[in-house]
Amino acid sequence: MSASTDTATLAGSQRPSRLRLLEPITILWVALIAALLVLVALPLLKMFVISFEEQDTGVFTIQNYLTAYGRQRYLDAVRNSLLLGTLSAAISVVLAVPMAWAVSRTDMPGKGFTWAIVLAAFIMPPYLGAIGWVLLAGPNSGWINVVWRSLTGATDPLVNVYTFTGMAFVIALHSFPLVFIFVKSALDLISSEMEDAANILGGGTWVTMRKVTLPLVWPSILGGFILIFLETIALFGTPAIIGIPARINVVTTQLWQFFEDPVRVEVASAFAMPLLLVTIGLIAVQKLLLARKGFVSQTGKGGERRQVKLGPWRWVLFGWCVLVALLSVVKPLMVLLQASFAKAWGRGFSFDNLTLRNYQFLLFEHDMAPQAVWNTVWFSATSATIAVVLALLVAYIVVRRLIRFADALGFLAMAPFVIPGIVMAIGFYAAYAGPPLSLYGSALLIILAFASRFLPIAYASSQAAIRAVHPEMEEAARILGSGRLHAIRKVTAPLLKTSLLGGWLVVFIVASRELSAAIFLVGPRTRTMSVLLYDLTEQGNFEVVSAFGGILLVITMAIVGIGMKLVGRDFMLRRE
Amino acid sequence: MFLINRREMLALAAWSVAASRAWADAPMHAQERELYEAAKREGEITWYSGQYNADSAEAAGRAFNARYPGVRCNVVRSTSQVAFQRLSQDQRAGVAQCDVFSSTNGGHYIQLKRQNRLTQFRPVNADGLLPILRIADPDNYFQSSFLGVFLIGHNTTMVSEADAPRSWADILDPKWRNKLAVGHPGFSGAIGVWALQMRTMLGPDFLRRLEANKPQVGRSSIDPVTMMNAGERPIGVAVSANSTLLAASRGNPLRLIYPSEGVVAAISPSAILANAPHPNAAKLFMEFQTGPGLSAAVREIFNESIRPDVPPPVGSRPLSETTMLAPSLEEAERGVPEVREQWRDIFGI
Repeated sequence: MSASTDTATLAGSQRPSRLRLLEPITILWVALIAALLVLVALPLLKMFVISFEEQDTGVFTIQNYLTAYGRQRYLDAVRNSLLLGTLSAAISVVLAVPMAWAVSRTDMPGKGFTWAIVLAAFIMPPYLGAIGWVLLAGPNSGWINVVWRSLTGATDPLVNVYTFTGMAFVIALHSFPLVFIFVKSALDLISSEMEDAANILGGGTWVTMRKVTLPLVWPSILGGFILIFLETIALFGTPAIIGIPARINVVTTQLWQFFEDPVRVEVASAFAMPLLLVTIGLIAVQKLLLARKGFVSQTGKGGERRQVKLGPWRWVLFGWCVLVALLSVVKPLMVLLQASFAKAWGRGFSFDNLTLRNYQFLLFEHDMAPQAVWNTVWFSATSATIAVVLALLVAYIVVRRLIRFADALGFLAMAPFVIPGIVMAIGFYAAYAGPPLSLYGSALLIILAFASRFLPIAYASSQAAIRAVHPEMEEAARILGSGRLHAIRKVTAPLLKTSLLGGWLVVFIVASRELSAAIFLVGPRTRTMSVLLYDLTEQGNFEVVSAFGGILLVITMAIVGIGMKLVGRDFMLRRE
Repeated sequence: MFLINRREMLALAAWSVAASRAWADAPMHAQERELYEAAKREGEITWYSGQYNADSAEAAGRAFNARYPGVRCNVVRSTSQVAFQRLSQDQRAGVAQCDVFSSTNGGHYIQLKRQNRLTQFRPVNADGLLPILRIADPDNYFQSSFLGVFLIGHNTTMVSEADAPRSWADILDPKWRNKLAVGHPGFSGAIGVWALQMRTMLGPDFLRRLEANKPQVGRSSIDPVTMMNAGERPIGVAVSANSTLLAASRGNPLRLIYPSEGVVAAISPSAILANAPHPNAAKLFMEFQTGPGLSAAVREIFNESIRPDVPPPVGSRPLSETTMLAPSLEEAERGVPEVREQWRDIFGI
C-alpha cells in the first residue's frame, strides 16, 4: 500500500503534471486499495493460511489436505464437479450458439421473442428451475413422463431429472444466456465481407458459417464455456435439490459436510484450494483466447453487416429457439405457478385445487418470510451500491492510468469473477466470521461478501463506460480549476449515469438470487430469500416453495422493468 | 381409518382454534409472570428448531407471540443436523445468536452438556408433562419439548392397504426395490436416530440392505411425504406421523402404517444455551414449550401433544397403544455420527 503511494509521490515530484496526486484524493486511492484488500485479497489469503493450520492450536500441518483428499468419496466429489461443469458448459454451448447466430446474423423471425427468453432464463434463479424440473421430469410423477406414458403406454420414463445428465441439463438451461451474450456480441462485430469472400469461393451458407463465422467467434464460445464451467462447479442449490436424490456428491455439497459439527473450516479450505488451481489454469487459457478475440474485432470492424437469408431454414432455427424457450422458461414456470396456487400440487390443475393460501401463509403468517424478502432487497441494494462505487473508482484509476500498478487494482477487482462463489464464502467465513471482527450473523458480512463476489460485473461495465468518455471533457473542468474528485462528480459521473445504473441493476439481480455464498454466511436474522427457499424445499411443501419463488420472481421482474425503463431494453444482456 | 372427512376437519379446526385461544389466555403462574416481565426488557428470543415442521414451528412462534405481547419469537427452522451445524458455526465464530435449541437428535444435548454450553433451568410447567417426558435430564440442563412418532406411510392409490409393508423388516424385501423414499441422517436428526435404531434391531448390514432397494434419498423426514404426494414413490420410510397426516388432510391419498416392531419415537429435548443473548426470554420460552400453549398450538397441525391435559391430534393412534422404540440419548450421541458416516459411504451422498 504505502509503497505504491511513495512511488506516486516520487513520480509526482519529478513530473509536474502528476503533482495533483498530492491532493487529499491520494487518501482515497489508498482507501480504495484497502477496500479491495479487505474484499478480495484477505479472505483468500486467510483461507490459504488456515488450510495449513491445525484447528484450535494453529500449528502448521498438512493434515487438512490429507483429510480433505484422503477418502474416495471426497475425490469422487471433485471428479463429479469437474465432469458436471464440463457437461453443463457443453450443453449450454449447443443450446446457445445457434440462437446467437440466428439473432445476430440471419433473418430468423421472432428475434424479440428470443431476446426475451434469454433474459428470462437469465433472471430465473437456477434452484427455482431445478424445482420446476423436479416437478416436470421426476421419473414417475413428472408431468412429461406422465404424458409420455399415457400417450405411448410405455412403462419406462422418457426423461429422469435425477441423473447426472439430467442435472447437467437443468443447470445448462439457466446458464446458456452467458454463452449467448458472449457469442452474439462477438458475431455482431464480424462484417459480412468475410462471409462474402467465402461465398465467392463457392461456400454455401452452412459451409460459411461452419468454416468462417464460427471459427471467428471461437474464443467467445470458449470464454462462455469457461465461465459456465466455473459457475457450475460453485453451484450449491441444484446439486442439493437434484444431486442428493440422484446420489451424486459434488464439491459444494461436500464442503457443506465439512461444516457439520465440529465445523472444520480448515479442512474445507484445504478441499477448496485445488479449485483455485483449476481456475488459475482456466484464466491462463482465457488469456490466450482474449488475445485472439482482440484480433477478431480489429479486422472485423467497420465493414458492412447484412443478414444471411435462410429461406425455410429460418423456421427451423426459430423452432429451436422456441424449444429452448419451452424447456428453460415456459414449462418450469408453468409448473411452479400451478404449484404455487395449488392446495396439493400432486392433484394437478383443477378449480377446487386452487388457493391463495400459500401466498397468504408466506406474507402474513410466516415469521421469517417477510424479513427474508426485506433482507434480500436491502442486502442486494447495498452490495450493488458498494460494488458500483468501488468499481467506478478503480476503473477510473485503471483506465486513466493515474497510479503505477493500476493494473494490479484492476486484477483484484476482476479476481472474484473466476473464484467459485462458494470458495469466496468460505474465505469470508474464515476471515471475518470469528474474532476479532465476529461478523457472523451480521448483515455486514453478507453485504461485503455479495459486493466482493459481484464486483467484477460492476467493474466490467464501469471500465467500458469510462473508456467511452474522452478525458478532454474532464480536463476542461480541471483547467477551469476543478479538483479531480469534483470533476468526476460534475462531469464524468453524469455522463456515466446510465451505464452505472445498468451495472447496479445487474448486480442487484444476481445478488438477490445468490445462494452458494449466502448459505455459509447467513445467521438467524440475516436469512435471504434464496436461503429460506432452500430451507423450505425439504419441508414437504412445494406449494409454499413455489409461491415464495413466485414472490422472488415478481421482485426481480419489477427491478428488470425499472431497468428497461431507465436504461434501455437490453441492459442486462449488453456486453460492453 | 386415518383419513378424516371435510366436515370433521372443519369442526375440529373450529374447536382447536377455540381451545388454543383459551390456552393463550390462560393465567400465568408466578414464575412465568416474573420471567415475562424480565423478558419484555429483552424483547425477543431466537429459537433454532429442527423438531417441528415449518408449519408447526411457525404456529408455535405465533402462539408464543400472542401469549406474551412485547416478546417476539424468531423462528429459525431447519432440519436438526443443520440447526446443530448453525449452532456449531456460531460457536466457531465466537458469536452468540441462539437462545433456545431444539433438535430431534437427543445426542446433541449430551454433547452440549458435556461441553458446558447449556444453562441449568427447570420450567415449572415441566411437572405437567406426560410422565415419560417429565425428567429428560436429572441435572435439568435440558427438558423434553417434542415427541415425534416416525413410522411408514404409503400412497393408497399406488399400493393398496393389503399389499403395503407391515413391519420395518418388510421394507427390506426386494419387491420394494425402487419404491421407497427416505430422508438423510446427515440432515435430519430423526432419520439419524431411526437409522441407528434399525441397525441395532435389524442387524449391522441394515443400511446395505436398504441401499439394495434403491430408496429415493431426500434430506428431511418430510421429503418422502412429498414423494408420496407426487406419486414419485409409493412408500415413505421413517416419515413423521404429523407431516403425513397434515398432507393427507390437504387431500393427498396417504395412510400411516404402524410397523409391528413399534414406531421410532423421537423424544427430544430443548435447552437454553449458556451464552444465550436473551436468557430470561429463553426461560420464558421453555415455560411456554413445556406448558399447554405449545401443545395446543401444534396439535392442530397433527403433532403429538406432550401434555396429558391437551388431547392428542386427531387421526394418530394414542401413544398408550403403541410400542415406542428409541436409542438412549447417550447411544444417540455416539451412534448417530457413526451411522451417518456409514450411510454416506454406502449411499455415496
